Amino acid sequence: MEWKPKIIVFCCNWCSYGGADTAGTARMQYPPNVRVIRVMCSGRINPLFIFKAFDEGADGVMVAGCHFGDCHYDRGNYACDQRMRALKTVLTTLGIEEGRFYLDWISASEGEKFANTMTMVSEKVKELGPFSWRKNQAEIG
Amino acid sequence: MIEVNDMFYAKSSDAAIADAGEYGGAVTSILKFLLKEGIVDAVLAVEEGADLYDAVPILIEDPDKVVKSAGSIHFGTLNLAKVVEKYLDGAQDMKIAVTVKPCDAMTMVELIKRERVNPDNVIMIGLNCGGTMPPVKSREMMEKFYEFDPDSVVKEEIAKGKLIVETADGTEKEIPIDDLEDEGFGRRTNCRRCEINIPTMADLACGNWGVIGPLAGKATFIEVCSPKGAEVLEKAKEAGALDLEEPIEKGITIRKNIDNAMVKLADKWQDADWEDVKGREIFSALTEYLPDFSRCIKCYGCREACPICYCDDCCLEAHNGPDWLSKGEIPPSPMFHLERMIHMVESCTNCGQCEEVCPSEIPLAKIWHEVNAKVKDNFGYVKGTGENKPPMGFFPMDKMPL
Repeated sequence: MEWKPKIIVFCCNWCSYGGADTAGTARMQYPPNVRVIRVMCSGRINPLFIFKAFDEGADGVMVAGCHFGDCHYDRGNYACDQRMRALKTVLTTLGIEEGRFYLDWISASEGEKFANTMTMVSEKVKELGPFSWRKNQAEIG
Repeated sequence: MIEVNDMFYAKSSDAAIADAGEYGGAVTSILKFLLKEGIVDAVLAVEEGADLYDAVPILIEDPDKVVKSAGSIHFGTLNLAKVVEKYLDGAQDMKIAVTVKPCDAMTMVELIKRERVNPDNVIMIGLNCGGTMPPVKSREMMEKFYEFDPDSVVKEEIAKGKLIVETADGTEKEIPIDDLEDEGFGRRTNCRRCEINIPTMADLACGNWGVIGPLAGKATFIEVCSPKGAEVLEKAKEAGALDLEEPIEKGITIRKNIDNAMVKLADKWQDADWEDVKGREIFSALTEYLPDFSRCIKCYGCREACPICYCDDCCLEAHNGPDWLSKGEIPPSPMFHLERMIHMVESCTNCGQCEEVCPSEIPLAKIWHEVNAKVKDNFGYVKGTGENKPPMGFFPMDKMPL
């Protein structure tokens, strides 16, 4: 059986989750290996969520929020942006490939962007192959 | 009038202190003056414990006892900022003066930024530092290189790149630190990589570097680093606790040159330490360190020792909130260390406490220092100085557009 990546997408309730809805109602096709987790705001996303996702076996993680200026809670996405950029530094230093972690802004009307982004992320992660720091540890030991 | 960035040669006007302390006893007499005048309620310093290899933090309230903390001690691996935060309630209702090495000073600044220490109540007397040495290895070193009984050593000093050791019967022996380090002894590994030797983030930066001319070896070089430091020094001078002299121009250059040489040496060590993970393919650092992490016995020692880990409710404990870590899994998933990393790495001051206590000898300080250096390069956040808040934990809402 062909290997399929597991991808976790954190979507904010007001924009990106709406974007996923729009993609659904418009019957756009995107890879089924994407799992969406809804959070109320992208500012709610603790960098640990991303680590935990990788720890539990995700091969790629994406964070999606509202465009700047559109946040339902004024500035949550700015906080998200700052945290995720810092997190990215840590991830790349540790040697986790850049292609495994994405941050983008998708509004509720952008169903097409949502579908396209998911396709893109899914393909990129597929190229990189499976990820697990636990499995990797066993290989070394 | 003493101003910020002024520099002085200082020595104590009290003969007893000048004798007990090193290089004129300027630091000891500043501390004594502060206590005597009631400017501070207590002084936090380091004293010799059971022997020379045992540095113990001490809170002094009696001005006559300050002299107990006089003299240098290089075999101590303390971080006094941790003591202030954890045991003195962040100096919230007590005015204290603290002697700080650069890593202590940087940690203190980070804790102030994180609102765990009250900056109004703390006077930081900075001490130049070229590195500290691990006690157990140093005992071994005394036997192996100096051929002394470790317990017979009464005095140690670092001067001109050499570790000078004196025993009770007066024999002295000096060995260049480079030679010791080539053999795996000498300074702690995090100290070798450290590029901050003069604590300019403290209120005063004191040290023996750059003292030349007639006062060489008898006075301390003091640089004033903050308005608070200037005020303290001004008062001490007026009260006659200190004799201040203008420094010799050439001395200032020498001090700068020593600092530059130390920074270059630190760069060399950084390159050497991180060489094995640099420029690797994917998974580089993580793959490199996974075998180290797999030795973890989840003793929480690193968390307890880390001065930045101060949360009352720690997410590393399974009963707190969501199950970040599975209970009873040993070795824990690398999440254990990565969680701690995410929480404090941008503030990591490379003080080496985590590595010092680790029973499994995981090179934690090395990993953290490396990630911290990358955060600095990519994110522009420099630990331990300035006003900027740590990027991961703080978000300046008021500065962001609506």
